[in-house]
Amino acid sequence: MNKPLDERTIPSPESQGDLTLGQRLYLREAIKGMGVLASHFFKNLFGYRDPAPEILDRKGPGVNMVTTIQYPDERKPLPPGYRGMHRLVPRLDGTPRCVACYMCATACPAQCIYIEAGEYEDQAIEKYPVRFEIDELRCIVCGFCVEACPKDAIRMDTGTHAPAVLSRPLAVFDKQALMKGPAVEHPSDVLTYRMPLRTPVPKEPEGPGVTSKGLPLR
Amino acid sequence: MAVITPTARLASDDFGPVVAPKLEYSRWLIGTIVGWTAFVGFLFFMSWLFLALTRAIMWIGAQIPLDWGISQPLGTILSVVMLLVMVTATLLTMADRKWSALMQDRMGPNRARFSIIPFLRDKPLKGLPHIMADVLKMLFKEDFIPEGARENRFLFNLAPLLAFAPAFMLIAVVPVSPEINFWGARLQLQVARVDWGILYVFALASIAVFGTALAGWTSSNKLALLGGLRASAQLVSYEVTLGLTLVGALIVFGTLRLDVMAQLQGMGESAIRAAAMLANRSGDFFARDDSLLFGWLPAWGAVFQPVGIILFMVAGQAEIKRAPFDTPEGDSEIIGYFLEYSGLKSGMFLIAEYAETVVISGIVTAIFLGAYHIPWLEPTIARVTDGWLGASGVAWLAVVQVFAFVVKTLAIIWVLFVVRWAFPRFRYDQVMRLGWKMMLPVSLTNVALTGAIFLWAGRDGVAWMGIIEWIAFLFFVAFTQRGPAAAQGATGHTSTAAAH
Repeated sequence: MNKPLDERTIPSPESQGDLTLGQRLYLREAIKGMGVLASHFFKNLFGYRDPAPEILDRKGPGVNMVTTIQYPDERKPLPPGYRGMHRLVPRLDGTPRCVACYMCATACPAQCIYIEAGEYEDQAIEKYPVRFEIDELRCIVCGFCVEACPKDAIRMDTGTHAPAVLSRPLAVFDKQALMKGPAVEHPSDVLTYRMPLRTPVPKEPEGPGVTSKGLPLR
Repeated sequence: MAVITPTARLASDDFGPVVAPKLEYSRWLIGTIVGWTAFVGFLFFMSWLFLALTRAIMWIGAQIPLDWGISQPLGTILSVVMLLVMVTATLLTMADRKWSALMQDRMGPNRARFSIIPFLRDKPLKGLPHIMADVLKMLFKEDFIPEGARENRFLFNLAPLLAFAPAFMLIAVVPVSPEINFWGARLQLQVARVDWGILYVFALASIAVFGTALAGWTSSNKLALLGGLRASAQLVSYEVTLGLTLVGALIVFGTLRLDVMAQLQGMGESAIRAAAMLANRSGDFFARDDSLLFGWLPAWGAVFQPVGIILFMVAGQAEIKRAPFDTPEGDSEIIGYFLEYSGLKSGMFLIAEYAETVVISGIVTAIFLGAYHIPWLEPTIARVTDGWLGASGVAWLAVVQVFAFVVKTLAIIWVLFVVRWAFPRFRYDQVMRLGWKMMLPVSLTNVALTGAIFLWAGRDGVAWMGIIEWIAFLFFVAFTQRGPAAAQGATGHTSTAAAH
C-alpha cells in the first residue's frame, strides 16, 4: 500500500488484487458520497441565499451554497470600465455634447456610426449632429469611438447590452434613443460658451451630474 | 474592491443597483419557520383527510341499499391511490429536480409562473407551476406512433399502461394506517387486506417487466429494443434479490400479510388502550410502550434485518430503473425503452417511475421501518389526545400514525434520490455482477442465518443478530482504509466528484 503511486499503476478492474475487501466493496466511499450530497442538501435547504455574486465561498451561519445569479432579476456588478451599450452624453441644456467631428465614425473599425452634421448659426459651438445613428448589430464593442471622442460625448457606460430585436432596422439606434443619463459638464466647457447656451441652465440639475474627474458638479 | 473609475460610478449610479438586496436574516428565519410549520400542518391535514375521505365514502356506501361491501376499499383507493400515491408521484417529478438542484448547489427550475393568478404572478412557488406546464405539454404533444410500430399498435399502446398500472396496484397491500374506529366505523387505510400480500408484491413487480420489454420491442427501434432487453434482464435479476431479502422479514414476522407485519412492529389497539388506561390510573404522563424490544428498541423490521433493508432498497432502486441502475434508460447512450413514445405515453413512463418510487418506499416503510408506528410515544399520544373533539385517543393516534407513515415514506424516497444523484451509472456487466454474484449470495446467506437464529433463539435472537450486523456495518464503513484510487482522487476532487 505504501508503493509510490504512479498514474500508470492505477489498478484496473482486472488487477484489484492489492485492494482489501472493504475497498473493493466501496461501501465507505459510497456512503461518503451520499453524505456529501446530504450535507449540501440540508445546507442549501435551510440556509438562506446570499445573492451577492462576489462571495464565491459561501461560508457563514445560515448561508447556503447556491451561487446562481437569477440573471434578469439580479445582475452581477459590471467591472469598472466595462463597455456596454453606447450613449450620447447630454449637455446641461439637453442637447448632445457631440460636435459632429466624425472622429468616432472614422475610428470605428466596424463602420457602425453614421453622422450627419448640422451647423449652429449663433453659437460658439459650431456643429451638432443632425443624425447620429449607431448600428448595434455591426458594433464590435471595441470602445474606439469612446477613445476617439474629443468632447466626451459618447460613452459606453450604460451597463446594458444591445437589446434583442425582432428585425435588423430596430437595432439601429438614433440620436433620441442614444441620449441617456445625466448631463455632463467639464470645467473647460465654459470657455466654449462665448454666448449663453440656448436653454438656460437649470438651477439644480436632476440627477447627480458628474465631471470626468469624478467630482460632483457644482 | 476594485478602484472605481468615474465611468463605473456613473453606470451604477445612473442605471440602478445591480445586486439584489440580501434577504434579512430575521425575515428569512420567520419565513422558514412559517413555511415548515405550514408544510407539517398540511401533511397532518392530509393524514386526517385520508381517513375522513375513506369514512365519507363508507357513509355514502351505507346510504345505498345495495352495499356490496366495497365502500371501504373504494374509499381507500380514492384516498391512498388517487391522493397519496398520485399526488406524491406528481410532486416528485418536481422534487427530483429541486432536490437534485439543492444537492448540487443549484436553484432548480423556478421560471414558470401562474401568470393568470394575480397574487401568484411573480412567485416561483418552489417550481410547482412547472408541474402544470409539464402536464400541459404532455397532454398537447403529438401522439406519434413510429412506422414500424403501426402493426403492433395495440401492444405499443399497452406498454405504457403495463408500466403504469402495477405501480398503482402495488400500493393496494401497503398498510397506511392501523385498523381503527373512525367516526363509528371500522376502517383501515389498506385497499386489500389479503393473506398473500407479499406474493402480490412479487407478482406485480414482475408485471412491470412486461411494460418495459413490450415498449422496447414494439417500438421497432434498435436502441429502444436494447433498452427493453436491458430492462427485462435487470428486472428479472433483481426480482430474485428483492424476493429473497423479504424472506428474512417473513421468517421474523411469520406472515405474508403486510398489515399483520405492520401491526407486529408496534403496539396493537387494545394494548395501546390498556397502556393508556394504566398510565391514567397511575398518573404518569408517559404511558409504557410494551412492543419495544428489550424495553428500549423499536421492534422494526430494520432492527431484525439490516441486510434485508439495505439490499431491498438497492434491489428496489434497480426495480424502478433509476440511477445507478438506469442502464435501461441510459439517457446519454441509448435513450431507453421509451425512446419512441411521445406525449402522455412518455409521461406515463415517467410518472410510473415516480409512482414506483413511492410504492417501493411505502413497502420498505411497511416492512422494515415500522409502517405507521411511532416508537415509544404511541400510548402517550393516545392518552393525551383522548377526548379531543369527541374522538377517541386511538383515532387521533391513527391520524398521527398516517402522518408518520407519510414522513417515513418521504424519508426513504429522499434516500433513494440521494443514491440516484450520488452514483454514476453502472455498466451493464456491473449491474449483472452486483445482482447475481454479490447481492444474491448475501441475501441467501441472510435468509439462512435469519432462519437458523430464529429457530435457535427466536425473535430476540434475530434482534441481537440485527444489532450486531448494524454495528458491524458501521464499523466496516468507518474503518475501511481508503483505496489507492480513492487516495489519488482525494487531492481535489472529493466534493466535485459527487456533483455529477
